[in-house]
Amino acid sequence: MSDAASPPSPLRRLMARPWLWAYVAAFAVFIVTILFTGGRSGGEVATAAFTFATFSVIVGIGQMFVVTLGPGNVDLSIPATITLAGAVATKIMDTQDGMILVGLLVALACGAAVGIFNYGLIILLRIPPIIATLSSSFLVQSTAIAYGRGIRIKPPPALADFTTSQVFGMPVLAICVILLAAVMEVVLRRTLYGRWVTAIGQNIRAARLAGVPVGRTRFAAYMMSAVFAGLCGYLLSGFSGGSSLSMGEEYLLTSIALVVIGGSSVAGGNSNVPGLWGAALFLFLVVTMLNTYGFGAGLRYLATGAIIIAVIVAASRRRTAR
Amino acid sequence: MTRFTGMLSLAALAATLLAGSALADTADKKIALSNNYAGNSWRQAMLRSWDKVTKPAVQAGIVAAADPFTTAENQVTEQAAQIQNLVLQGYNAIVLNAASPDALNGAVKEACDAGVIVVSFDGIVTEPCAWRIAVDFKTMGKDEITYLKDKLPNGGNVLEIRGLAGVFVDDEISKGIHEGATENPQFKIVGSVHGDWDQAKAQAAVAGILPSLPDDIVAVVTQGGDGYGAAQAFKAAGRKMPIIVMGNRQDELAWWKEQKDANGYETYSASIAPGVSTLAFWVAQQILDGKEVPKDLVVPFLRIDQAGLEKALETTEKGGVANVEYTAEDAQKVVDAAKK
Repeated sequence: MSDAASPPSPLRRLMARPWLWAYVAAFAVFIVTILFTGGRSGGEVATAAFTFATFSVIVGIGQMFVVTLGPGNVDLSIPATITLAGAVATKIMDTQDGMILVGLLVALACGAAVGIFNYGLIILLRIPPIIATLSSSFLVQSTAIAYGRGIRIKPPPALADFTTSQVFGMPVLAICVILLAAVMEVVLRRTLYGRWVTAIGQNIRAARLAGVPVGRTRFAAYMMSAVFAGLCGYLLSGFSGGSSLSMGEEYLLTSIALVVIGGSSVAGGNSNVPGLWGAALFLFLVVTMLNTYGFGAGLRYLATGAIIIAVIVAASRRRTAR
Repeated sequence: MTRFTGMLSLAALAATLLAGSALADTADKKIALSNNYAGNSWRQAMLRSWDKVTKPAVQAGIVAAADPFTTAENQVTEQAAQIQNLVLQGYNAIVLNAASPDALNGAVKEACDAGVIVVSFDGIVTEPCAWRIAVDFKTMGKDEITYLKDKLPNGGNVLEIRGLAGVFVDDEISKGIHEGATENPQFKIVGSVHGDWDQAKAQAAVAGILPSLPDDIVAVVTQGGDGYGAAQAFKAAGRKMPIIVMGNRQDELAWWKEQKDANGYETYSASIAPGVSTLAFWVAQQILDGKEVPKDLVVPFLRIDQAGLEKALETTEKGGVANVEYTAEDAQKVVDAAKK
């Protein structure tokens, strides 16, 4: 962080934010999308984008903390945890409104259990995190299959209402998750724990010598990622009318993509939370835009890839230019 | 001595030929199921049907073994290795739901060369030495427009939900739908999204495109597994519920029943029963039995109409797919139909 001697202007400081480009891209794609209908449906598109971005941001936050820990740290068990938490929670709640809180606790406990198991594999058996979380995801997914057999149980009505409710076109859940993201940004930037995570990501040896409790910090990050995945599974099954075996599938690549597009360093040590929201909105809007213009699937994938590369390049160009 | 044995076996052969189909001579034959994926409710039902039919068949001594094997990662290389292992383990026939129509051809050819019968179904393989129990997906798509033509003589705007991009099944169903729409120009396909045969993904995709579509969508044509998600998206957007063609999933049928009771909602539902794995089992058994079976067979659709909804819903387990298990006689019928 070698800022110039004179304090930079606010605009310049904003331009230097690595997460800015995700928002710029999301906004540009949004404009192009609503141009198709002459601007008539802007509100509806924005509502849909916030609705679906919410779920990716929840798991994105957890993934980001893990990725921040440095090279090789990534949580591949997120989709399986989402599925397991959703299946167990809906089954325990059994459509009873009175069980909503119990369901939430159970979903979070599922996440916590997976987190403990993941870190146990990493630390006790000394398995690299990628392999550890990948293999645990097989076990967790199999547990979910054996437990639920793919049965879709409806969520309690009150939970379904809550997860789909809106105020002035803004999903309530999205507002909650924006607040959650704000809290996590403070945790990352201002708390001792957040600084520890960043320090480990920048140089684990130096961090250890400086007295950072490396083991506990890493454990907490993996734990958090899994607990957020459990939360996501709980809310997602409330939102989409029950859990299904494939409900978590798309969140593996999405969670990693959010971290990267949001301007966090994939090598760890330098992360930000605001970028996750920009990236999540962007990813949903790109698909919506290409669908709206009726591109074929092949062209859509090509365009998606090209746009994502462009955003990442733009974001990293900013950073190196500083 | 050798001559005597020769005569004896010739007599035995003649006896078998005379006896015809009555008694299975496959009591010592082993059949394996090689399956590439188990992560959705359709595949789960497929595996359960397999167990339900093959276990009694093994107990009754019709075949010696009928073991299911599923690969963990839905990878072509993994399934190719699995097929090679099954050949080495001495299975006489492999019933195959393949990860790819052509990438497994090498492994399938090796199996055939080793004298193993390969019967592919659902996810079929193009290798000529294998049998194929295929679905006429194009007709499945075209049927949807045919149904809408009767229901909505005036036509209107239609939203299409497709499956997984790049998969042969998705292309075929979509081709059928578009062919139907070309023949019936009163229907206009105003939007097309990929829902990957998944409720959650379909819901997100439909929610995204709905704002840009005209208000008067009269119907949603689907590929199965996506109808409930589409309904959720229409409801969330506060739109008038169009006719959504369903794909036999229990949640879709339950939703349909709810709407039917509330406001007389009408639609239909069609898909392939997961029990098609048992059809493939009986076909493999008959081939092992020495029957002459054409290489290309066609699976019947399982279609649910307004009148049959309650009954189908009752027999479909929660979270499952409407299903039928096939018998040896059903297999015989399918074979006879293909011979014509």
